[in-house]
Amino acid sequence: MALISLRSVSKTYTKGREQVDVLSDIDLDINERDFVALMGPSGSGKTTMLNLIGGLDHPTYGEVVVGDSSLNSLSSRELSRWRAQNIGFVFQFYNLLPVLTAQRNVELPLLLTKLKGRERKKNAATALDIVGLADRAKHKPAELSGGQQQRVAIARAIVADPQILVCDEPTGDLDRNTAEEVLQLLETLNQKHNKTIVMVTHDPKAAEHAKTTVFLDKGKLSSTSDPEQSELVNG
Amino acid sequence: MGKFQFLLRCMFRRKLRTTLTMLSLITAFLLFMLLRSIAFVFDAGWEGVDEGRLQTQSKYSMIEMLPLTHIDQIANVAGVGIVTHSSWFGGVFQEGDTNVATFAVDPETYFDVYSEFEVDAEQLEEFRSIRTAALAPEPMIERYGWEIGQKVPVISPIYPTPSGEPWVFDLVGSYSSGNESDGFQAFLFQHEYLRETFDMGVAGWFVITIDDPSRSDEISAEIDKLFANSPDETRTMTESEAAKQFMAQLGDISLMMTGILSSVFFTMVLLTANTMIQGYRERTSELAVMKTLGFTDLGVATYLLLESVLLCAISAVIGIGLGSMIASSAQDFMPPFVPIYFAWQTVLWAGCIALGLGLLVGLVPAISAIRLSIVDALHRH
Repeated sequence: MALISLRSVSKTYTKGREQVDVLSDIDLDINERDFVALMGPSGSGKTTMLNLIGGLDHPTYGEVVVGDSSLNSLSSRELSRWRAQNIGFVFQFYNLLPVLTAQRNVELPLLLTKLKGRERKKNAATALDIVGLADRAKHKPAELSGGQQQRVAIARAIVADPQILVCDEPTGDLDRNTAEEVLQLLETLNQKHNKTIVMVTHDPKAAEHAKTTVFLDKGKLSSTSDPEQSELVNG
Repeated sequence: MGKFQFLLRCMFRRKLRTTLTMLSLITAFLLFMLLRSIAFVFDAGWEGVDEGRLQTQSKYSMIEMLPLTHIDQIANVAGVGIVTHSSWFGGVFQEGDTNVATFAVDPETYFDVYSEFEVDAEQLEEFRSIRTAALAPEPMIERYGWEIGQKVPVISPIYPTPSGEPWVFDLVGSYSSGNESDGFQAFLFQHEYLRETFDMGVAGWFVITIDDPSRSDEISAEIDKLFANSPDETRTMTESEAAKQFMAQLGDISLMMTGILSSVFFTMVLLTANTMIQGYRERTSELAVMKTLGFTDLGVATYLLLESVLLCAISAVIGIGLGSMIASSAQDFMPPFVPIYFAWQTVLWAGCIALGLGLLVGLVPAISAIRLSIVDALHRH
């Protein structure tokens, strides 16, 4: 059974008097432990689709189901709680809080849990260790390289042990070698830590690390590397 | 990192700006403590004024004197206990710079009426028997470095001596008012000395003890009735009412203080709100990230509100602390005509203002945070 299901999902934005259809009638299933790369040209709706999967936005039509939860039916408050428990986010520009050290940035999502201070610290240290940055725990983001900042962001995404990682162009701001390191890390998280990963990228090299690649064009699924999904894509 | 630590980190993300805002707030709260401590006296009269005492003065003006012959008539009114008198002398100890409340009083009855004043029996006896004797409150003696037994020269602009020389008093002792913070610190000397010098049979006002404070209105009316339609009509009221009236003659100090403080805090609202709104704008994307991580709309708004409340609270604690220290000891350094009374009510008010200010200036960022769309904020970033 699919972990993430998009059924007849459409998303329309209103810009002034104009209606912009960003996604049209999308059907997609993503299985548990899958590593999906969402590809497509700019404006094809990749990030919008990622936002819907991550519970950051609601579809105009259709339904997004993740695990047992239909995201459409959740209130803003419930959706916040759901995100805290189920989703880890990785952004292109890392989005770390500049006033906090790496350790404290990673600890941030744990403030929403009932863990005690010592346990929060321990879990954050473990997450930093997984991404290979235990020795940079006391550094602030400005004292870290882009690749290190992104690894801290990944540590923050996995510290609450969510089932799904949602990554929006995680290597978009990194050089080739550093990007490769980050992608290797995501692959490890997928294979060894059983994280289901949905990654938006426009880089075919990055997509090679994924198990499945889904192509979007003008708000519609155009093709997929997963034979099981082909039927959905082609109707 | 706990939630409070996170709050502090966010609050001091721009250390200089936060520190400068806090310094402004500390100054505002310090000013509040000092000005309200002055206004408190004008609002409340002197703390500890006995409601069982009446004061009789001229009906038309406090500076009009009353004949001493009134005393016997007043003493015969039912319910009246002891009657004493007191006259404003307007003393200056060291020419030009030290105006001090100086009263010419009746040494035989004054301390019977003001029974809460403590004075050594021997010193009181000397005060009663030596025509040029004077008593001063202990803080005044300390302040001017006097010693008991020394002569104290005093200039009076109201009663200059015929020779033009200062009056010279023999300081025979000290007295304690029992409540040093009540603002009453007067240099007392025998009215007889003044009377002999100027051959005058008048006094500034009478102070009267009564048996039953609940009958103060009735007794006051009775006394005033005695002198109605005479050349020296009187107005009698409780001593606290008289103190308030005396204060009111200086103008509505409380209203002036309130006006000044309102302007100060209005400016503070604008300044602190500006700091908070700037802080909000600078970290819109950070707030969006917090929401992404699972912080609820209300949770993020609460953080922002707590941040502004904390900013005001820390500033208030420092400002109130400094203000309290200064206000509780400032009387020693101020002329007695500027009474300062440190009251816990003032601290309570300052605390309420800090809380209100914090909530008010945090409101706009908090509401904006609730309305903040994650997708839009991250897209802009």
